This record gives sequence, structure tokens and C-alpha cells, in this order.
Amino acid sequence: MMRPELERLHHIERHLLGAAPAPEWPLLQLLDADLEADTELQRQLYQGVYRAGQQQLRQELHQIHQRLYRRRGWLQAGTNYLHQLRRLWRRA
Amino acid sequence: MNSSATLSAPPAPAAELAAALRANREQTLTQLYAHTFPMLRRYVQQRGGSAQDAKDVFQDAVVVLYEQAVSGRLTLTASASTYLFSVSRNLWKQELSRRSRQPATPLSDDHTQLPDTAATDAAPPDVTDMVLQHLAQLTTKCRRMLVSFYYFQQPLEQIAAEHQYGSIRSATVQKFKCLERLRNAVRPVFRNAFTS
Repeated sequence: MMRPELERLHHIERHLLGAAPAPEWPLLQLLDADLEADTELQRQLYQGVYRAGQQQLRQELHQIHQRLYRRRGWLQAGTNYLHQLRRLWRRA
Repeated sequence: MNSSATLSAPPAPAAELAAALRANREQTLTQLYAHTFPMLRRYVQQRGGSAQDAKDVFQDAVVVLYEQAVSGRLTLTASASTYLFSVSRNLWKQELSRRSRQPATPLSDDHTQLPDTAATDAAPPDVTDMVLQHLAQLTTKCRRMLVSFYYFQQPLEQIAAEHQYGSIRSATVQKFKCLERLRNAVRPVFRNAFTS
């Protein structure tokens, strides 16, 4: 058993994210005057966490891009430099 | 699409893709990236865009793909790579259309003006930004746990294993404790800003 405060968060989560509405929800609404405001707050928390997740995913994609293409960029620059040196050497 | 490479890849069912993304996000995304991005970059560059434009639309498309896959809203009739290319191509067409309607204008003095202080003060605070700020102040473990569960939709078994919890139950309790910490941090500001 979780302590009552955590159980309450769990109830609200089931209401907001669950596939089916919690059957006890109407009763909880009658008994708990703060439930509506806390449900709205928890909905906002999920939105914030979701945004943080999107930011993290974009950061990870940026790192993947860097790993995949930065090294090739260096290789390409190095190859170009060698070609340039070869041309100069031939001219000399 | 003008490449046969993506069309020749066998279609990956959406559920398999979602499972792969959840189990090993970095490896799955890296494979998709390496397989699809070069073609997309070529496509965008042949149609007046830059490599940076290609990167931007491609990464937007990957975010769409990820969110649809893990939420079960994705239907794949071809390979994930083909789907990703198609979404990216549509995003690039939208961007081209937007640019043709709003051609880029050089920055003028107006753009460098600071926003009007009174107008800024009057604007309601963005709750999501507020949550982001408080989320950043949680412990790394809490933050990772919340993002892994609610955004990346990793199963609690995996989260429990990654964070060395003995059971799914312990991980569940810890997740709610983290959510409670975040709520307690945000609640006073939320009440002041939105209920007064």
C-alpha cells in the first residue's frame, strides 16, 4: 500500500491517463473539494514532463547526427586538403 | 520517393518498432537516422533547401514517429524508413510553402527592440515552462524516471532495472514520490498564478 497522498496521485493519474475512466471518480469528486484543482495541476505536470521529454529526444537526435556526420565531415575536409596538397605538389 | 533503398527494406510492424524504441532507443534511432537521413538531405538540397533544413525537418519527423509509435497510434504499411522519409518530405513541402508566403526579410531595427515591459508583465505565465523549471531542479534520478515513464513510455520493468529497484512496485512508488515532489514545488506558484 502506498501512503494516501501517493494513492491520490495514482487515482488522478488513472483518471487523466487511463484507458477507461475510474469508476470511483464521481464519488471522489463529491468527497474531495480540492480534487478538480489538483487534477488540473497534475495535467499540467504531465504536459511539462512531456515537453521535457521532447527536448531530451531532440538533444539525443542532435548527438546522433553529430556522431554520424561530424566524423565524415572531418574525413571529407582531410581528403580535400590532401587533394589540394597533391595538386600543389604537381605544379611545383 | 526516388530511392529504391527504403522501398526494398522489409516493412517493420509498428509494434516491433515501438518495442525496439523502448528497449534500445539510441541504437534504433541511430539505425533509422543513418538509413534515411542521407536520402532526405539529398531530396531537400535538390529542392532549394540546405543540409540544416534537412536536419530540422528530419528531426521533427523522428519526434512524430517516436510519439506515434510508443503511443500505439502508428500504422506502418511500409518500412519505418519509408514512413520517416514521407513525413519529412511533407514537412519540407509545408516549410517551402510557408517560406513562399512569408519570404525572409532582413532584420530591421524593429526586430532588435526589446519587448514592451508592460506587455510582458501582463502576459500570463506559461505553466509548462514553470513545470520545466521545477523539473530541472529535481534529482537526476527523479527527472529521468518521470521522463522515461511519461514521455518515452518505457515499461516500469525496464525503469526498475535501470534504476536498480528491486521490484516494479518499488519503482512505481518512487515514480509517484517524484511526481509528488514536482507537484509540491509547482503547486504554490500554480495557485497564486491561476486561482487568485
